[in-house]
Amino acid sequence: MRRLGAALAAGLFAGGAQAAPPLELAVKAAYIAKFAPFVVWPSSAFAGPRAPLVVCVQGDDPFDGMLERMAAGQNVGAHPLVVRRVARLDPESGCQIAYLAGSAAQSPAAALKAVEGQPVLTVTDGDSSRGIVHLVLVGDRVRFLIDAGKAGQSRLGISSKLLALAAEVKR
Amino acid sequence: MSQRDPEPRRVALLWISALVLVVASVGLAFREEAAHQGEARQQAEAQTEVLAGSVSAALSFDDETAMRQDLSALMRNPQVSAAAIYGTDGRQLALMARPDAGPAPARLAGPEDMQANGRDLVARPVVEQGSRLGFVYVQTAREDLSAFVARHTGLVILTLLALMLLTFMTSTAARLATANLRLNEEIEARAAAEDALRQSQKLEALGQLTGGIAHDFNNLLQAIRGAFELILGKAADEKVVRRWARNGLEASDRGASLTRQLLAFSRQQKLELKPLIVADTLAGMGDMLARTLGPKIELVFDLDEERVPVMSDATQLELAVMNMAVNARDAMPGGGRLTVRSRKVALSGDAVLPSGSYIELQVIDTGEGMPLHVMRRAFDPFYTTKALGKGTGLGLAQVYGVARQAGGDARIASAPGAGTTVTLMLSEASGEAAGPAEAPEAAAAAPSVAAGATVLLVDDDEAVRVVVRGGLEARGFKVLDANGGEAALQLAARGPQIAVIDYAMPGMDGAQTAERLRRALPQLPIILASGHPDTAAVERALGGSATIVRKPFDIAKLAETLTTMLARSA
Repeated sequence: MRRLGAALAAGLFAGGAQAAPPLELAVKAAYIAKFAPFVVWPSSAFAGPRAPLVVCVQGDDPFDGMLERMAAGQNVGAHPLVVRRVARLDPESGCQIAYLAGSAAQSPAAALKAVEGQPVLTVTDGDSSRGIVHLVLVGDRVRFLIDAGKAGQSRLGISSKLLALAAEVKR
Repeated sequence: MSQRDPEPRRVALLWISALVLVVASVGLAFREEAAHQGEARQQAEAQTEVLAGSVSAALSFDDETAMRQDLSALMRNPQVSAAAIYGTDGRQLALMARPDAGPAPARLAGPEDMQANGRDLVARPVVEQGSRLGFVYVQTAREDLSAFVARHTGLVILTLLALMLLTFMTSTAARLATANLRLNEEIEARAAAEDALRQSQKLEALGQLTGGIAHDFNNLLQAIRGAFELILGKAADEKVVRRWARNGLEASDRGASLTRQLLAFSRQQKLELKPLIVADTLAGMGDMLARTLGPKIELVFDLDEERVPVMSDATQLELAVMNMAVNARDAMPGGGRLTVRSRKVALSGDAVLPSGSYIELQVIDTGEGMPLHVMRRAFDPFYTTKALGKGTGLGLAQVYGVARQAGGDARIASAPGAGTTVTLMLSEASGEAAGPAEAPEAAAAAPSVAAGATVLLVDDDEAVRVVVRGGLEARGFKVLDANGGEAALQLAARGPQIAVIDYAMPGMDGAQTAERLRRALPQLPIILASGHPDTAAVERALGGSATIVRKPFDIAKLAETLTTMLARSA
């Protein structure tokens, strides 16, 4: 039962990953890195004023190092951008942004549940449960939906500029 | 001359003002232009920064639609002619430009501020939380000429207006100055005309006066003529003849006094100014004044004992006192008191008179006084409040003349019902003290010299010649008489020792006759008899070489003068 679920999940995601062309993945990777300047975390979210801003990829990383390349040398405020892979997401993971790729070990929904109310900008895509930012494909363009209510619960400030760019904003 | 001087100065001032105005305007325009350009530049920079701020997310997520929206929002501003967005790699991602815009750079490597062809070109980085996301570029519209002109038209118009106003004001001032000049000239002309008018009015008044005087003279002549007629009728009766002769003399004295008064008024008669003691003169007038005033008026003398001499003509001064007394009498028909007062006063700070020592001669009555408007004109010649024929209006004018001639002034103080005080301020005479003017011994010594002296008498009037000849011969003179200048010159050969010549004669007049006689007899003393009021003119004509006796003269006085002159020339 457990295995089946895992296989299903893997199949789903493998399928998604395989279906997604490299360009779309590159754009998504770029987006994930680019959200950082438009989001304000509570200072408690960081270990220190110069602590890195950690972008986590939870589960099975589809980006093949693209995210690292995007983040390389980038600073958001005084925080250098770093990428980390986590199998399971929890409040102690130390992530400020988390892309929930999902895995057999932790589904995106479980990951969302794990950091609910924590100052973590959760990014999801596909048909899985929606994080604060949800990436979608509109036509041939990658767009994003923003759940402002959830962001508020997580004590995250989302720039109005980013909200203006969102395909949909859930209040 | 001096009125023309301001003209070039005013023109120079106009030019300088205009120059200053233009320079100031140009300076102001430059400043304004610089300020405007700075402002335009700042605006362009602000626009660019607004774009850089708003476009960051769209640029970040490469959302061209959002970028174009931001650009088109910016393009609403007509001052922006082109705007573009570039990525971090300098690649142009979005561009909006008006047709007249200059070319926007295809690639942009960094922020730049520059100007080209009157446009501001501004590029700014797009930064979000320290992340450089790309660049934005804004190109402002080139200002068209009409806007430039519109911006400066106001100042140009103001400057032109100010220049016009300046010119107008200057020309107005010039016109005003000219008008003022003309006005002054007109005022002068008017003053001259007024003077002429006043003179003619005086002459007219004199003409009217002549009627009254002629009447007086006729009366006097009548008295004289009557006396002579009576004498003619009773020539044998010595007592009667004496009485009527005295009457005739009195009448002729009155006539002489009348003419003297007129002459004193006309001020052309030469006064015999001598140092005199006013108190003495006044003291000698007691009888005359008492008789003039009549029994109802009390006469009081209050005289000084300072013995300060003043320069005056005794006769004229007496006449002045008489005139004042007559006025006082007429002001006191019901009787009253007349005070004649003299005292020495030291004057300083007077409005009219210089500081110094004066004799103040006052005639004070207790009469009806006079209102202010009458008082103001009291000294005016011919001004009188008396009925026609009762006064000439010359009395106080003569008083005033006497005071002025004595280096003083006449004042009047009065109020209705409060009496009148006429005050003469007579300046103290400097130099020799007053005293008897003529040495009596000269007259006493004279007869011996005069006895048998030959007098050449020249007069065109036979009656005068007969009377004078008789009078002189009765006093021991030999007389050669001639009826004119020619006859006189013929008689010169007979060696006259002195000549008496009438001034006004037909043909050769007295002055000419005297001159011709002098050529024949250079040492000959000459007496000119003149009824002419302008004795100064006669003296001028003679060059001061003759003595003048005024007609009518009495023969005793003439004989005295002859004796004195003969004694002097002997």
